[in-house]
Amino acid sequence: MALSKIDVANMLTGATPVANGGTALTSGFKNGITNATQWRLTTSFSGDGDHIDSNWEQVDTTGQGILGSAMSESSGTFTFPSTGIWYVEFYASYNFNGDARFQEAYINIASTKVAQQYAFATNNGESGANYSNASASTTVDVTNTGTQTVQFGTTHSQSGSNTNGESDKNRTFATFIRLGDT
Amino acid sequence: MDYKTGKPNHIEDYLVTVRTGQWFGWSDSKNKVYANLIVHDGGSKPTEQQCTDGLKALQDAWDAANG
Repeated sequence: MALSKIDVANMLTGATPVANGGTALTSGFKNGITNATQWRLTTSFSGDGDHIDSNWEQVDTTGQGILGSAMSESSGTFTFPSTGIWYVEFYASYNFNGDARFQEAYINIASTKVAQQYAFATNNGESGANYSNASASTTVDVTNTGTQTVQFGTTHSQSGSNTNGESDKNRTFATFIRLGDT
Repeated sequence: MDYKTGKPNHIEDYLVTVRTGQWFGWSDSKNKVYANLIVHDGGSKPTEQQCTDGLKALQDAWDAANG
C-alpha cells in the first residue's frame, strides 16, 4: 500500500510547521528572504540624471507590495533597512526620436559606480519616438547601513534622449531583495 | 505620450523639452495636472498656457510627420 501521509509531529523535536499541520510560523529556512521591495521613477526627464535625485516613489499600485521593512530614500540616495547581502537591480526605460549611440544605466554604492549597462537606440528611419532600455544589477554586502547606500543614474549620448517615469506602473525602477545575512 | 503611437498627449511631454535634467516633478504624482507641477531646480516655471501651447505644438508636429 502506498504511503500517502506521515505524522511528522512524532518525528520532530521542535514545533511542527504550519504547512505540516502544526503551529510553528517559521518556514524552517534560516536567513531566508526577509525583504523585497521596488521603487520607481514617477516623472520623465530629458538628458542625464547623474544621479537620479528626485521623483522616486515606492511602488503602490493595487496588487503591488513589499516584504519586510522598507528602503528609505532621500534625494535619490537609498538606505537599506538592515545589514545583509542584498540584490539590487536598476531598470531604466528610455525614449528618443532618432539614433543614440548610448543610454547608460548605472548603480552607485557609496557614490562609487559598481554596475553599468548601455542601451542603443535607433528609430530605423521611422518618425517619432523609439524605446530602449538598460538594466544594471549588483549584490551589495551591507555591513553598515549608514554608509553603504545606493544611487541610480542615467546618462545619454544624445540631447533629447529621455528617461521614462510613471506613477502607476514600473517603467524606470529599482528592485531591492535581501538575500541573507552578511 | 501614447506609448504605442509615440504621440504626445500630456503636458509632461512638453515639460521634458523645456530644459534637461530633473527640473520638475509633481506634488501629487497620481494627479499630474498643472496645479500640481513643482520646480526642483529653482528655475522658472512655465505658465499653464505655455504648457498647453507647447503640448499642442508637439502634437501638431507629430500629426504632420505621421499623416
